[in-house]
Amino acid sequence: MAGREGQYILEFRNITKEFPGVKALDKVSFSFRYGEVHALCGENGAGKSTLMKILSGVYQPTSGEIIYKGEKREFRNPHQAQLSGISIIYQEFSLIRNFSVVENVFLNREPANRFGHLNRKKARQVTQALLEEIGFDLDPDKKVEDLTVVQQQVVEIIKALSVKADVLIMDEPSAALTDKEVRKLFEIIKTLRGKGVTVIYISHMLEEIFEICDRVTVIKDGQVIGTNDTRDTNKDELIRMMVGREIEDYYPDRPPKSDKVLMQVRQLGKGRKLSDISFELFLGEVLGVTGMVGCGQTLLAECLLGIERKDGGEVFINGERREVHTICDAIEYGMGYLPADRKNMGVLGPMSVKENITLANLKSYLKNGFLNKKREKKDSTEQVSLLNIKTPTVESIMRNLSGGNQQKVVISRWLLKQPRIYIIAEPTRGIDVGAKVEIYKIIRGVANEGNAVIMISTDLPEIIGMSDRIMVMNEGRIEGIIDQHEATATEEQILSLAVGHQYNI
Amino acid sequence: MTEKGSKTIMRSFIEPGKLVWVILSLVIIVAFFTSPNFFMPRNLRNIFLIQPIGFGLAALGQSFVVIAGGIDLSVGAAISLMTSLGAGIMKSYPGVSPVLMILVFIAMGIAVGAINGYIVVILRVTPIMATLATMNIFYGLTLIYTKRTIGGVPHEYRVISDGRIWGTPFCVIWFLVVFFLCYLILNKNKLGKYIYAVGSDDEVSRLSGINVRKTKFLAYVIGGILVGLASAFLTARLGGGGPEVGRFYELQVIAAIVIGGVSLAGGRGNLFSVLGGVLILTLFANIMNLLDLNPFTQIVLQGLVLILAVAFYSKKRAG
Repeated sequence: MAGREGQYILEFRNITKEFPGVKALDKVSFSFRYGEVHALCGENGAGKSTLMKILSGVYQPTSGEIIYKGEKREFRNPHQAQLSGISIIYQEFSLIRNFSVVENVFLNREPANRFGHLNRKKARQVTQALLEEIGFDLDPDKKVEDLTVVQQQVVEIIKALSVKADVLIMDEPSAALTDKEVRKLFEIIKTLRGKGVTVIYISHMLEEIFEICDRVTVIKDGQVIGTNDTRDTNKDELIRMMVGREIEDYYPDRPPKSDKVLMQVRQLGKGRKLSDISFELFLGEVLGVTGMVGCGQTLLAECLLGIERKDGGEVFINGERREVHTICDAIEYGMGYLPADRKNMGVLGPMSVKENITLANLKSYLKNGFLNKKREKKDSTEQVSLLNIKTPTVESIMRNLSGGNQQKVVISRWLLKQPRIYIIAEPTRGIDVGAKVEIYKIIRGVANEGNAVIMISTDLPEIIGMSDRIMVMNEGRIEGIIDQHEATATEEQILSLAVGHQYNI
Repeated sequence: MTEKGSKTIMRSFIEPGKLVWVILSLVIIVAFFTSPNFFMPRNLRNIFLIQPIGFGLAALGQSFVVIAGGIDLSVGAAISLMTSLGAGIMKSYPGVSPVLMILVFIAMGIAVGAINGYIVVILRVTPIMATLATMNIFYGLTLIYTKRTIGGVPHEYRVISDGRIWGTPFCVIWFLVVFFLCYLILNKNKLGKYIYAVGSDDEVSRLSGINVRKTKFLAYVIGGILVGLASAFLTARLGGGGPEVGRFYELQVIAAIVIGGVSLAGGRGNLFSVLGGVLILTLFANIMNLLDLNPFTQIVLQGLVLILAVAFYSKKRAG
């Protein structure tokens, strides 16, 4: 490999990818050297994953070229990219859980004779050899479901290497690992680099990037901001590159600070994923909860709501200790939940707007065991005009509404129920600007009416614009709570907390 | 033995695939106390060697389909149809060679499997709906063809079940050969790996480049062939075929593989344990017969056993 030092194995030239209504990538150009570890970083939704999916053949670019080993290439499907030596390790593992390590490594490439009779011995030997090569001790006959997360990760790596990967893409490989396991992973990456493999390392963890990567490219809003040698840059510069955008002011005004506690959470924990979560929720406030994807925000919401079982900790609502075991308990104690995955968890597509609005509150429409359709219609019509939901009639089918209007319907469902504590996840994901502003008004409105809102979002401008206080999480812990009554937070501030780095302004 | 060690052993026996042998031993003990007739050589030979064969072949077929993530509710009706047609052919052409007849049964099996596979894989009808419908179709076709049992299968053909070599019933050797072939395909062959993979997680399989649809289709075809062989055997053993032959077979077959540790969610199970499940249900039926239970009561009890088995395993999996 020494002869090719400094040469490029892979080049992106003006890669553009458009999805209906969105330009996910805009003329992206940069290159990778032979045998380097190259970090790719950027905020959530900056376009990193889209770019990697193009490289691994899952997506096709709208325009632009990929130059691989000096030739212009197109990868029409993952198999083709794999055959050319580009392997990707996805964030969610793609392993068959009840298969052994060997069986997974050789899935669809089993050594066999011409009758398809398997040569297990050979598969086992090759697996063993690969394990030794990366210096990891693992029983090749163990089933994947019996392995730890890092062991599963190793299986993914070996699977990728067994097809002779020249370029190995790792999408957030450390997200699920403990510190010690990350060390192990780094050793493996160094071994791979030593063998001339180019590793594309996607991570939010700046510390890691400086430790393991040779170069780093920052992407923001689908564009390359720049590529730097890790030796010549620092965390503060990277964060500045990742952020640096104006916060538009279409957010409603913040009310004065309240000191009446509505909910208090003490020492809540769940396995390795959440620990030592303690915070207070004040009357009338919007508490923004943010962090990188997978830092535990959603799990926290689900623990509070009884969807997931917490391991320990106490929750006080209005000063009284409450045990929430199911979502029904949560509703009983005055909580309402708007999940991020609206399509699967919030909306009944084939049913009418009216039915979707009154769904959580049907009991109150019962009269002698029958639904009082008239009142149902009256209330839902009221909600539709109150929240300015754009629908022909309340009898229209929910599926036909736009994303923003569907979200409003889901909100109105809870408004009817009148909870005290709203837990809202990604309230404006995939929603156009006009509807966003209205949804922000509604959220501020319910908070002002003597309730409180926990708003989980990875959209930083939204978090800064909407929250009275911002709780930043990192790896299942609260990294810090920024009170915006004193001074408005900056994205740099939040981001540096979210990646576990003290940023000095 | 340390506490941990004994716990591990306990746990390994609670594993569906191994538990089946524990249950089988228990059922044999129960049988011993139920009836002195149980251990008569004739009864033993019947329940361990002869009776399980037709049933066992059908259960092997179902295993392929279920491990691949499907299900086949049409087995019973398919058996009724194929035994009727087979017996009908032999009645019309008494001189037909037994070997040719077996090939005819295999061909009918392939057709049945391909029809089910086509509906599930190409037309994308969920397996339960598809085979519920084909069950109706096969059963209806049987009744159009004949309302009653067709007998008169020639002696040369009945050798398949009644003949012996060195004192061993011919059909036992026959069964063992088929079983071994199935074992080779499912456990030692690429296709078998794919069947497990597709049944475990078809998305992961697709990402790994496995042809998911082809694999599922082939699982149905293999399943069909085995049902064809089961029909060939039953026609020989009963000396005929008819609408009643396959009645309630689907339930029994599914019960047997579930007791044998095959997961109805797909991807898990092994053929040896399926054999155990088959023996358990055969013994169970035998005990009920020896106790002289009303045949309709027997059907009710079989349904209950299936519910118990599925409930037990799903509870185990849930934690």
